[in-house]
Amino acid sequence: MEAERRCQQCGQMIPWGERKCPACGDDQRLLWSLSRNELLLASLAALFILFIATTFSVTAYHAKEHSLAQQWYASGERDLAAGRAEAAIEDFRTALVYSHNNPLIEFQLAHALTVAGHLHEARAYLLGLWEREPGNGTVNLELAQLAARSGSVQEATQYYHHALYGQWDENPAEHRRIAGLDLAEFLIKVGQKAQAQAELIALTAGLPNDPAIKTRVGSLLMQTGEYEHASPLFRQALRLDADYLPALEGAGEASFEMRDYQAARRYLSRAKRLGALSPQSQQFLETATLIQQGDPLAPRLRGQERATRALAAFNQGMARLSQCAAVRGVSFDNGAQQSDLQQLHTQATALQPKVTARNLARDSDLLLKATDMAFQIEQVTERACGEPQGLDLALLLLSRIQEGANE
Amino acid sequence: MSSLSTPQAAVPTQWSVPPRRAGILAGIRRRLQLGSGGLTLGEQQVFLLLAVIIGLFSGLAVVLFRITIEYTHLILFGSGLAIAPLRALLAPTAVGLIVALLVMRVFPRARGSGVNQTKAAVYIYDGFVPFRTVIGKFVTCALAIGSGQSLGPEDPSLQMGAGIASALGRRMRFSRDKVRLIAPVGAAAGLAAAFNAPISAVLFVIEEVIGQWTAGVLGAIVLSAVSSVVVARWFLGDQALFGIPVYHLVHPAELLAYAALGVIGGIASLVFVKLVAYLRPRLKALPHWTHYVQPALAGLAIGVIGLWLPQVMGAGYQSIDQAMHDQYAWRLMLVLGVFKIIATTLSFVSGTPGGMFAPTLFIGAMLGAGVGGIERHFFPWFTGSVGAYALVGIGTLFAGFLRAPMTSVFMVLEVSGNYSIILPVMISNTIAYLISRRYQHLPLFDLLSRQDNVDLPSMEERREEQALLVEDAMRPFHEPILSSQESVTDALNRLEGVSGDFFFVDNGRGKWYDVTKDMLRDAVLAWDSDVSVGSVLRGPPLPHVHPDHALDVALSRIGDAPYIPVVNRADLTKLEGVVSLDGILKAYRDSESLAKARRRSE
Repeated sequence: MEAERRCQQCGQMIPWGERKCPACGDDQRLLWSLSRNELLLASLAALFILFIATTFSVTAYHAKEHSLAQQWYASGERDLAAGRAEAAIEDFRTALVYSHNNPLIEFQLAHALTVAGHLHEARAYLLGLWEREPGNGTVNLELAQLAARSGSVQEATQYYHHALYGQWDENPAEHRRIAGLDLAEFLIKVGQKAQAQAELIALTAGLPNDPAIKTRVGSLLMQTGEYEHASPLFRQALRLDADYLPALEGAGEASFEMRDYQAARRYLSRAKRLGALSPQSQQFLETATLIQQGDPLAPRLRGQERATRALAAFNQGMARLSQCAAVRGVSFDNGAQQSDLQQLHTQATALQPKVTARNLARDSDLLLKATDMAFQIEQVTERACGEPQGLDLALLLLSRIQEGANE
Repeated sequence: MSSLSTPQAAVPTQWSVPPRRAGILAGIRRRLQLGSGGLTLGEQQVFLLLAVIIGLFSGLAVVLFRITIEYTHLILFGSGLAIAPLRALLAPTAVGLIVALLVMRVFPRARGSGVNQTKAAVYIYDGFVPFRTVIGKFVTCALAIGSGQSLGPEDPSLQMGAGIASALGRRMRFSRDKVRLIAPVGAAAGLAAAFNAPISAVLFVIEEVIGQWTAGVLGAIVLSAVSSVVVARWFLGDQALFGIPVYHLVHPAELLAYAALGVIGGIASLVFVKLVAYLRPRLKALPHWTHYVQPALAGLAIGVIGLWLPQVMGAGYQSIDQAMHDQYAWRLMLVLGVFKIIATTLSFVSGTPGGMFAPTLFIGAMLGAGVGGIERHFFPWFTGSVGAYALVGIGTLFAGFLRAPMTSVFMVLEVSGNYSIILPVMISNTIAYLISRRYQHLPLFDLLSRQDNVDLPSMEERREEQALLVEDAMRPFHEPILSSQESVTDALNRLEGVSGDFFFVDNGRGKWYDVTKDMLRDAVLAWDSDVSVGSVLRGPPLPHVHPDHALDVALSRIGDAPYIPVVNRADLTKLEGVVSLDGILKAYRDSESLAKARRRSE
């Protein structure tokens, strides 16, 4: 077979695909005159030239791409800042065409998608980024916030933890704190207060000397019911800025919750002098004032004053009892099958004739009985008719203090 | 064999140098110490070295090709994703006219499938792909794809690689076998650089162009594919074609959704192939002058679609990426999949040069992501990422439309870098492939070659050809088997009354001989004493075969013997039967009749 391909004129082999002998025929191009080794060298030389040409072309194209990517990225940032999320999405997508797989652009695109409410789309980009950099704090925080928005507790918690322990290029402590606070807020929102408490207590160790941050952590701890850890944070904040209104309010509320009504009244009164109080703080202040002004068992009271307070408490209790019975439709006339309210009414009615200011001032046992009756009424009516307001609430809280003291 | 590997050949080993350049080249040769006494490499070594060089050239060509497409797009449409309506209509139409003119007047071979042209180079033209086709493909495809025609750069890249390889290989004066196989080596390099996926490219070329795993060419194909990908990554970066989102199977029931994707992908593939099969010959049969305007009209139609769905214009990689990242609603993705089928069919059947790979990926991604979106809408509790469905959809269309099942699976794995996706991919691809096979007898590439009146070998048929085995032709051997130790008299006594005259002798050590009654009788007459059968035997032992040997092995071994023994592989002294020349021919005839009957029934 090979012999058939040899040129009859010169005896050399005619390459496959060629009809004429390149050496003898009309086709006497340079390439056909080269030996195999020379051809290899010539190929390498051509390769080198083509490589240089390609390098120039590619460099020029990459420069063009880079400039276009920057241009569209900047446009996207402008649109995002101006609140035009949809336009920003288009800009970032275009930027990605010219800077394929650029993590910064992908992140901004995901952010714009989140802002525009395209959560699935944002998640897809963020997951791609996460796969490339599982330890990236920024990506994990964004994913966590996305999962939190979707209500996926387990996923959100997982990404928040990745963000907490992940890598941050700038201000890692600050970013970790932000992630931790976000996580705590999310956990409180979904009702996982114990876990939120743990996260917040862990955060308190490294807080900077910033009253706002200390107050925010304190407020979150308050929301979890962790007043003992919250209170010192408010006090620390006040040491840094004595007139910091949120810290004063926080300290007041924490003191109130810890039944230190005197301190609560002090903080909240000072806060009120500095500015308007929140409705809750205002209520706490009023209640604390009532407690301080209406407590029959407060120390260092003169006998007449104590009797006046006990009489007021007893009368308030009787009124509360009648009011609650009316709300619940309980009649005090029927003697059979007595409920708690009816039993209390019977006992209180029996005691009522003796309860006068004069008797109370003279008989400390009677004073204790009348006060105790008022406290009992407040506790029973709270169970039957819900939490009271005003002086009733003050008496109820005083009854709890008394209960704690007795125990 | 080439001149380098046959030093004893009488003819000169080097080409004679034309007189006018002899002085210059002689000088160069002396300086480089090359030529007859310098560096000598065997043909196989040169072939492998050339494969690397082909890979590097192809990689560079593909990089330049991709950049030219991007520049064309930038010039014609600007840098934004949104396309101005006037540009969307005018650019593909005007460029369509230019491309048609170039194809009709300057580069006639630039139209058509690069895969088939490479196959034609291997099976018809002894590895010859004109270099003009490389230039033609480069220019016309860059213009067509850059102007928004719904075609991809992979198939042209494959053909450019084949053309470069052919140009280099022919000048190297390799043997016929090597020159024939050089085009697929280049094809693999071109495809690998275009896909940035060397394994898939190697598999595709073996699955669709060569059709068999031959050790001689596999090394060269791998080398060229790897070197081209190295070059492509050097210049374009090592990112995959599209960013692949994280995949994990959320629930085993999700596999049902992937099976549904397989069914949808199979149907879409069928529709796509049938559309191409129906429209292509009809448009080709239109008057010659219409061929100048068909690409422009296709471009105009695509521009009209592009006004509403700009994503269908061009190769569509950005849209695939966005589908992977869940950027479209499922309804839009299904619409995009359908319109991409229409747009690509129009571009391809109009004779516009360009490939079908990227559109196939696009359609698959859109259908896959659409199915994923529907599933998430109705069964959100067990749906993974839509991107995973898009990825599986890509493989599904690849298996159903291009009918390359192995490549389709490995391509998804290679592109995603995620092995855990293999189960959905295999389920979906297999279903799509089976549906496509059941309702479309000819695969796309075979169909296109038949429409062009070229009968290229069908790789699918080759893959499914069942080789005939010795057991299909052997028959039992009932005559007595003689032992080489027994005496000739005893042997003759045993053979008395037996009608045949050809007997096997077993020497007890796995060697088989033949003997006739006359040979035994002559031995009795020649020697007084009774001798053993073994001493009568002449010549070497008979060749033997095993029942699982291919029948052509028996054919090559049988020689002039009326039968050869078929023996057990575990016990060479155990005769399973015999095979005769007549039996072999009968088996071949029977199998051909069966195949005809099967073809008739299909």
